[in-house]
Amino acid sequence: MTAMHYRYRYRDQIFEIHLERIGDGYRAVLDEIPYEVEVLDIQPGQISLRFDGRPVNLYWAVDEENRWVSLQGCTYQLQKPVLDRARNTGVQASENLVRAPMPAQVRSLEVAVGDPVERGETLLLLEAMKMEIRIRAPRDGRIAGIKVSAGSTVNRGEVLVELEP
Amino acid sequence: MFTKVLIANRGEIAVRITRACHELGIAVVAVYSEIDRNALHVRMADEAISIGPAPANESYLNIDRILDAARRSGAQAIHPGYGFLSENASFARAVRDAGIRFIGPSPEAIQAMGDKAMARDRMQAAGVPVVPGYQASDDEADLEKAAVGLGFPLLAKAAAGGGGKGMRVVFEEGELHSSIAAARREALHAFGDSRMILERYVPQAHHVEFQLLGDEHGNLVHLFERECSVQRRHQKVIEESPSPLLNEALRAEIGAAALLAGREIGYHNAGTVEFIVDPQTQEYFFLEMNTRLQVEHPVTELVAGLDLVHWQIRIAAGQPLDFSQADLVQRGHAIQSRLYAEDPANGFLPATGPVLRFVEPEGPGIRVDSGIANGAEITIHYDPLIAKVIAHAQDRPAAVRRMQSALRDAVLLGVRTNWQFLQDVLAHPDFKAGRVYTTWVEENFEDWQPPDCILPPEVLVAAALTQYQTPFGASPNGQTGPTLDDPFSPWRIANGFRLGE
Repeated sequence: MTAMHYRYRYRDQIFEIHLERIGDGYRAVLDEIPYEVEVLDIQPGQISLRFDGRPVNLYWAVDEENRWVSLQGCTYQLQKPVLDRARNTGVQASENLVRAPMPAQVRSLEVAVGDPVERGETLLLLEAMKMEIRIRAPRDGRIAGIKVSAGSTVNRGEVLVELEP
Repeated sequence: MFTKVLIANRGEIAVRITRACHELGIAVVAVYSEIDRNALHVRMADEAISIGPAPANESYLNIDRILDAARRSGAQAIHPGYGFLSENASFARAVRDAGIRFIGPSPEAIQAMGDKAMARDRMQAAGVPVVPGYQASDDEADLEKAAVGLGFPLLAKAAAGGGGKGMRVVFEEGELHSSIAAARREALHAFGDSRMILERYVPQAHHVEFQLLGDEHGNLVHLFERECSVQRRHQKVIEESPSPLLNEALRAEIGAAALLAGREIGYHNAGTVEFIVDPQTQEYFFLEMNTRLQVEHPVTELVAGLDLVHWQIRIAAGQPLDFSQADLVQRGHAIQSRLYAEDPANGFLPATGPVLRFVEPEGPGIRVDSGIANGAEITIHYDPLIAKVIAHAQDRPAAVRRMQSALRDAVLLGVRTNWQFLQDVLAHPDFKAGRVYTTWVEENFEDWQPPDCILPPEVLVAAALTQYQTPFGASPNGQTGPTLDDPFSPWRIANGFRLGE
């Protein structure tokens, strides 16, 4: 019997699901619990199921990293599972890298390469949607590099400033 | 009546005004920045003119380009919406000087209310209650002496201020000096003006505002109040009418004060007089006047039963109001929730991204004012307001339930929103009891985080079933690929192990 396996990350937890075709419907297994599923209708952006006998209507969409599913007003952002290797480097490097908390435009730089900084000191100002966001030093240190300039646009997670190790 | 109007705005308010123009048989000229070239307000317009790059100060705030667009298109009037140039007296004057009608008050009225210190003086002289305060001098020693006279707690705020910038609550004399200095720095940065005024601080104050509407023939009425006490960082989140705080007598009294404020500056068109009301003493104080249409105007429209934008246009075209104060009654209760693109789990910072799918709630008594279509991009350049959901019902409890139900039916995929936060506010016992004041959100939702939703199995199953057809990053809007005709085709492939693609 053919079975399909899918994995998703939701709030830093990995969920795995098995789907198996049975007659006109499916058997889904999650955490060793089986569910009977029948697809009543599938449309771009919308899917209707009979789920263990109950009708369920969901909305969905996808982008590069996420599978968004909405059920009864709650929206769930299921992410592609990230490879462990990539996650580890992220965690390690974060001590020295100051990243943008959201997409924004750089309004001004308050420090220069080589400057000593204290924890909490403003490194630069970002602006987005009429809001000013102060980016502060996460620890004491010295500026090793500045990766952006005033006026440039940054994405969420993009490195702004590098501190000396 | 005009035959062509230019709307100097974008987003939901441009869409709202476009609808009103079309209902009145008026052609609409939209203006847009490069990034908005495919926006809903552009698609709905009869003509659209590009006015520059995405940053607002190079497009929607550029007076010359907007006037040029009006001249080129032959628009007889300009509606400024809210935000951007709507309270800019020089813009209103430049429009008038160009021989075009400004759909709003006179430049003189905008200016009179634009400077808070001047407005406060003038209102006080006219007999409108203002918060006891001090603004005679900006000298440090004078301010400190006045503060002791006023007593604590008090509020130090920028004379040129707004939006909570350049403002500090001072609880005791010892903090006065440093608080004023900090507020000055912020004010200088935000407004280029560091002048300070002092005011008595009213704890647990409700924000209650009155909608004014006046024609150019001397008729001025108020359309009752809106309660806007649910605020986060001075940004209104939920608004309603009537206010749960006011009784008939207090409503009549504050309404009369609002009319007095409007008459004092010869106000015409739509405007809002904001008050703070002390729930203990029932004292009310003039806060400021917004000389434009407001984001929360729909709740007034539903309760008063008239279209404010229609009237704004008719008034600007010289028509008189065809009703008087005595004709107006409050019908039922209306609530508005502002759906913002923001990430509550990330400190409520604005969220950006494509709107992959937006399903508006609908049903009896539900109105949605939104400016986005599926595929629209929420960018860093403008306000994070996505949509306003407004519920109208016979009384407050019914309106709250209708709102909760409407928010459950709303679907917005692709961008994080404050949806869950709105639901939690609506469900809070204080909100249900109408006991919310302007710092209530900060005090009660300080460390609020979206609840840890347990992922229902239905959601995982739906994700897996849709995945074969539409892998990650395939296309926006949940469009399916070429295998749409056979959703079960994965099963013809042998034993796949798909790691979430």
